[in-house]
Amino acid sequence: MSKFGFVLMTLLVGFAAAMPGAAQQAGQDNLTVELVAETDSPAAGSEVTIAFVATPDPGWHGYWKNPGDAGLDTRLDWKLPAGLTAGELRYPVPTRLLISGIMNYVYKGSYTQLATLKIPAGLATGTALPITVRADYLVCTDEVCVPETENLAIRLTVGDGVISGERRARFDAWRRVFPKPLGSEAKFSIADGVARIAIPYPASAAISDETYFYPLTTGALNYAAPQKVTRDGDLLVIETKAGGTPQRIEGVLAVGAGQGFSVTAVSGAVAVAATGEAGIDWSAALIAFGGALLGGLILNVMPCVFPILSLKALSLAKSGASEGQARGEALAYTAGVVLVVLALGGLMLGLRAGGASVGWAFQLTDPRVILLLLLLVLGIALNLAGLFEMMTPRFAGRLASGGSGGAFMTGALAAFIATPCTGPFMGAALGAALVLPWYVAILIFLGLGLGLALPFLLLGFVPALRRMLPKPGAWMDTFRKILSVPMFLTAIALAWVLGGLTGVNGMALGLTLALALAVVLWVLGRRQVRGAGNGAAWAVAVLVTAAGVWLVSGIEKPAAAAATAAKGAEPFSETRLAALRAEGRPVFAYFTADWCVTCKVNEKTAIETDAVASAFKDGNVAVLVGDWTDGDPALGRFIEQHNRAGVPLYLWYPKGGEPRVLPQVLTQGMLTALPGG
Amino acid sequence: MNRVIAFGVAMIAAMAIPAAAEQANGQKATDFKLTDASGKTVQLSDYRGKTVVLEWNNPGCPFVQRHYESGNMQKTQTAAKAGGAVWLTINSGAPGKQGYMEAPAARKWVGDSKSAAAHYLLDPKGIVGKGYAAKTTPHIYIIDGQGTLRYQGAIDDKPAARIDEMPAARNHAVAALNEIKAGKTVSVAQTQAYGCSVKYAE
Repeated sequence: MSKFGFVLMTLLVGFAAAMPGAAQQAGQDNLTVELVAETDSPAAGSEVTIAFVATPDPGWHGYWKNPGDAGLDTRLDWKLPAGLTAGELRYPVPTRLLISGIMNYVYKGSYTQLATLKIPAGLATGTALPITVRADYLVCTDEVCVPETENLAIRLTVGDGVISGERRARFDAWRRVFPKPLGSEAKFSIADGVARIAIPYPASAAISDETYFYPLTTGALNYAAPQKVTRDGDLLVIETKAGGTPQRIEGVLAVGAGQGFSVTAVSGAVAVAATGEAGIDWSAALIAFGGALLGGLILNVMPCVFPILSLKALSLAKSGASEGQARGEALAYTAGVVLVVLALGGLMLGLRAGGASVGWAFQLTDPRVILLLLLLVLGIALNLAGLFEMMTPRFAGRLASGGSGGAFMTGALAAFIATPCTGPFMGAALGAALVLPWYVAILIFLGLGLGLALPFLLLGFVPALRRMLPKPGAWMDTFRKILSVPMFLTAIALAWVLGGLTGVNGMALGLTLALALAVVLWVLGRRQVRGAGNGAAWAVAVLVTAAGVWLVSGIEKPAAAAATAAKGAEPFSETRLAALRAEGRPVFAYFTADWCVTCKVNEKTAIETDAVASAFKDGNVAVLVGDWTDGDPALGRFIEQHNRAGVPLYLWYPKGGEPRVLPQVLTQGMLTALPGG
Repeated sequence: MNRVIAFGVAMIAAMAIPAAAEQANGQKATDFKLTDASGKTVQLSDYRGKTVVLEWNNPGCPFVQRHYESGNMQKTQTAAKAGGAVWLTINSGAPGKQGYMEAPAARKWVGDSKSAAAHYLLDPKGIVGKGYAAKTTPHIYIIDGQGTLRYQGAIDDKPAARIDEMPAARNHAVAALNEIKAGKTVSVAQTQAYGCSVKYAE
């Protein structure tokens, strides 16, 4: 430092020291803490929550309970009146800051920590409760760290414990970003320095790209190593580098937007994502392959595929093709089917390996793909109905005509359209494909494709079968027109799927485009009858399709429907509960969240069953549902009053009787017995 | 999709590289060579046969300052020296960051702070720091006469202590040195280091 600089610094420091509090100098008070009590007049024998509202200066951050590779947590020294006790300091969900390979678990903006004070019973109203607490904490920028101390004081008076609306709102906002108890226990395993933590989390609950497991157990994980998040059904698996050999791992699973869950993981088996070698059950794989083959075969009679296939078969019979030509077409068709099925399956496996949550028919969750399919199927249906002939464009389907190129396209199309039909038949086999090693999964997709192609393959290679086909004749035209009906049905089903994805607006747009395409194809057909050229009409048809796909991609997906609830259930509120009880109705109240596996299982197996619904109806039972997915503090308080930290919570209010807390695992019998007992 | 690919690459990189960038207790500590504040080159393997203590240092870090202002660090260094160990202080701060010093400033700091370390080593590129996965200042590593790493972690068990509370702490470094000298296994061989993060170059 230059002499001038040194002198200047000395002067400045002297100046600042002479005027304490005049200006905030570097290295002092880079973070201010305010103490707020939820009520200033807590009742004797109750608890009061104290908030430490920390506000770091811009660019500064405070630390989580486990600060990460460096840093320090907050330390409190309470000075409490006799009889009062303070609970542990609780921390909101943190964020992370990686500087030059060193991981910090921090709070970048303002944050609030909470602690609970127990007020002893028997204190007289009006007793003064002076509380002082010294907080030692660390506040840092990316470059500099400063340990700071705040001596805080707050004066409480024993009173009625009433919480003002303003305080309640402030505390509710703070509580929203605190980790919620997940309820179910997680498991972890450590092998070859890699830790895998399997956290129960419903497959239907959303997670964001920011999903991260913040370890509280020190040394269990390597903090700076990236975490790989995959979903395996109702499990969320975090994979990262291990740091040691812990007995248990505690931490917070953050899923984005300040939402997080307290997790305790005990040592146990965690299914390893497909690694290759170890123990493949080949007999099980063969059974799955057989199942897939059968499933593919069944697909041939589904409305999506049947018309295409039967016409292809008839064209083969009509052409009186040679043996070689028939085989060539059969093989080309099979190649088309198998390639598309494998491509879709491979894409899905790839996306899943990358952590995305996709299932079979994942392409059908994209409205643009649905619209494309809708227009394609409509075009085929109109073609079958005889509106136009698909002769000229040599690149397109040539569905009813011969040639191995046409056969290949037919196969590819059949496989692509068949996927929406796969669900009910193929569920089990495809489910297995997602957890098996990738090459077994590919085997299952292969089975599916071969099954789908099998009838045509047989026709191609067994002349006897071809001879069994009815003789071509005028009836074929009628048959073709009849086959357009299942094709139109498929189009309707696709329009319905489109509606599900994009709402009524998207469906109306899709149908309008379908009409536009139909008009274009009608004009095309008229021109074909006159023998006029129709290149322009084909161009317009392609244009309409492209424009439609572009339009539909701009449609917002409607807000997700509210959580499924039992029939006739109403949202929970304490006023509604009181009103129902005043009416003299028995009430079943349950509290659930999208991220709670136990809740979902109970709802599927007990609450939402017909037997329970009818028992409740007979008993005139009102059902109230509290959805705690976003951690609504009002519901949280109600849940806490019943000595539960979180969901599930099941309450039964018999007519005029005392409320009863039901077990966390419900059975149908337990619920149907309620109205009578 | 791009993000998936990028993530995959990052994942592979993260899983593959740290094997070389982390020292495990009971394994041979990686040899290194650094220049000290007086321009002398120091190599870890030169001290084969002696116990070596590595202390990561950043004079600008309040945690380091507390240990030096209270005399706790110098006391630990003196105790190590008396027990026949060699104490190497390493500064892995990058130029422009807090605690970075050129050799003259480092010599001055060693004198002013009355450090009893054998050498004050400069590691501005952070190569040795990252090779040892040093994360905080202070961060202590103890290597025995056979070159085996025996302790890594914090200097003591009182991260938040004020100067007047520091004598009550368990000094992990002194305890480990005594156990190594007595031919025992180190009872507390790994602890969570605390302090400021090492100010590595990006």
